[in-house]
Amino acid sequence: MQPLSFSGADMRTLALIAWFVAVLMAAPGAALAQAKLRLVATTPDLASLAEVVGGERVSVSSIVPPGLDPEEYQPRPRDLERLRGADAVIRIGVDYDLWLDRLLVQAQNAALARGAPGYIDASVAIALLDVRGAAVGPGHPHGSGNPHYWLDPANAEIVTGNLLEALARLDPPGAKHYERRRIVFLDRLEAKRREWQQALAPYQGQALIAYHNNWAYLARRFRLNLAGFIEIKPGVPPSPAHLAGLARTMREKDIAIIVRQPHEPAKNTEFLASRSGAAVVVLAASVGAVPDARDYIGLIDYNVKALAAGFSRRRNP
Amino acid sequence: MSDAIALLALPFVAALCLVGIHAYLGIQVLRRNVIFVDLALAQMAALGATVAFMLGHPALGAATYAYSFGFTLLAALLLAFTRAWSGRIPQEALIGVIYVVAAAAAILLIDRAPQGAEHLKQILTGTILTVGWGDLALIAPLYLTVAVAHWLLRNSLLATTGSDWRWEFVFYASFGLVVTSSVALAGVLLVFSFLIIPAAIGVLYAERLSRQLLIGWICGAAASAVGLAASYAWDLPTGATIVCAFGLALALAGIAHPFARGGGHARTARHMLSVARWCAALALFASAAGLMLAPRADQPLLDAAELALPALRGLYMNASEDGLYRDAAAYADRYQRAAEQLNEREARSRFDSKPLDDYELARLSSFIKSYNEMRRGEEFVMREVRSRARARARWIGGALEMVLALLLAPGFFTRVRSRLRWR
Repeated sequence: MQPLSFSGADMRTLALIAWFVAVLMAAPGAALAQAKLRLVATTPDLASLAEVVGGERVSVSSIVPPGLDPEEYQPRPRDLERLRGADAVIRIGVDYDLWLDRLLVQAQNAALARGAPGYIDASVAIALLDVRGAAVGPGHPHGSGNPHYWLDPANAEIVTGNLLEALARLDPPGAKHYERRRIVFLDRLEAKRREWQQALAPYQGQALIAYHNNWAYLARRFRLNLAGFIEIKPGVPPSPAHLAGLARTMREKDIAIIVRQPHEPAKNTEFLASRSGAAVVVLAASVGAVPDARDYIGLIDYNVKALAAGFSRRRNP
Repeated sequence: MSDAIALLALPFVAALCLVGIHAYLGIQVLRRNVIFVDLALAQMAALGATVAFMLGHPALGAATYAYSFGFTLLAALLLAFTRAWSGRIPQEALIGVIYVVAAAAAILLIDRAPQGAEHLKQILTGTILTVGWGDLALIAPLYLTVAVAHWLLRNSLLATTGSDWRWEFVFYASFGLVVTSSVALAGVLLVFSFLIIPAAIGVLYAERLSRQLLIGWICGAAASAVGLAASYAWDLPTGATIVCAFGLALALAGIAHPFARGGGHARTARHMLSVARWCAALALFASAAGLMLAPRADQPLLDAAELALPALRGLYMNASEDGLYRDAAAYADRYQRAAEQLNEREARSRFDSKPLDDYELARLSSFIKSYNEMRRGEEFVMREVRSRARARARWIGGALEMVLALLLAPGFFTRVRSRLRWR
């Protein structure tokens, strides 16, 4: 058997091939290091906060388009595709986006399974309101708590904390970057929060009526009294006795405003408003629900301004 | 009481207006056998409004109404043409197709403009409770105009049911005009009842149109009043309550019909009584079988009887079970009150008393949760004690129910008596 021998030219060719192979093998790794982390959030609010923390290292999309009611969302085929290609999914939790569970089962992306690093429940460590346990009382249909916690700007600190922790775990080299961005955001939020508190300070303790119980966190933060709701159970129109009771409450407490979301029926709210002389204030429960609520801070900003305008209209008519 | 009258007066007037025109249109609809045509026309109107919204017109503007009405006319044209043409397919099938396609198309359009969802909902789910004077000022003249036009054109409209497509078009177009506005006012369910039920009662009891109308109006007005009053008294959603009152009115009219027709009153009454007895006997028999075969499953008949007469529990529970049951009920009540007190405290702290920080809030919430879970635990004990006692007494209880069923079943007594005599 002839021993294997290489000439000089052969050696050069081989070296060249080896170099190419090495480059080819390294390329995907290098590409991955530069590729953005693909995050899928269930709502535009979470998407906005994820963008705040992630910045240019992530690409974020929201499953529910702005302006749709996330509790009544019907998933589309495109959502499956997005979840299959995602590195992480961010959800509101607290039984709010329950449809995500079935989507995740169908998407079969192991990285997003409950407990995996790519599964981010934004509600972790939030102090929930309206907790009732499995036995659901009147008020909100969610026994495990009122899920609209992102409407309290103080909770943005906790949610971005959860996001920071998860992103740092998924992308350790970017940890410093995420932390820096979050601190910048919290500084801005703090300044804004002082501004918001000031704007609503004159109306502390004032009562208001809401179409549905979405505003518990917002009301608690700014010390407003949510005195009643038009629609107690979702989808069931109010009874005449209930409306008469609300009208009475409004007279007794001299309630100045009724709040509703853009997609909630205008008829009932206007009916009550016309009987009591109260103003109807349209608030946004989520980023993109009104054109002014472009991002998270814009959302709270819009709501605070709308509330202050509603209260002041009553004060100096 | 004055609150109730202030709140319900306008809805009642609106209901009278709606019954007034819909009872008449309903008789026409029954004649043409196009029962669900109002749903199809309303859905087309909603589709028109959605298109207007997509094109950037304001929600309640004139352009939106124009689009709504345009789409309704389109559907009316389609229905008028296919009336004579559909020899092989019943027109009801086409009406169904118009309904589902219009509904699906609206969903597809709304998917592109999320805020439109509320818009579409508003067109199809009006609530009669919140009707204002402005609404009435709009619909009353409209309905009056349609009614006068139909009266003037009665010879052509009534004589040519289905034969001339032009008169059919006039009928469907005017019908669409009415239904589009009434559905936005009162919702799909209520408008359908206003349309079909008074008309059906009228047709049941009279031959001439004027009498049919009169009967329909009286029944419709009475059922509306009953529905509104019940909705206030029992704190129920108004539209759904009125629909059920109308259903009840039709059922009563159906039961009374054989008597009103005259002749053989006693025989009719006997027949109805025997039907009622058969129903009761069968229900008792099913309950007995359920109790004996699956004593721990739900027993709706027994539960209802116990709810009405709590003393019935004493029949099958022994003293210790009864004591356990009462204890658990008392504890469940106590836990519920405790949870409610904490809820109240937490709610007040949001705006009135000293604010709770997140840690205190979480602590309080965990107490509320525990109280609620403990209440559920007590309720579980109540259910368990009861089903154990029922399981023990199932053979005797079941046998008693069987005997009751046999006694209630018509003809059982006479058969036994004749058998005895024969021996």
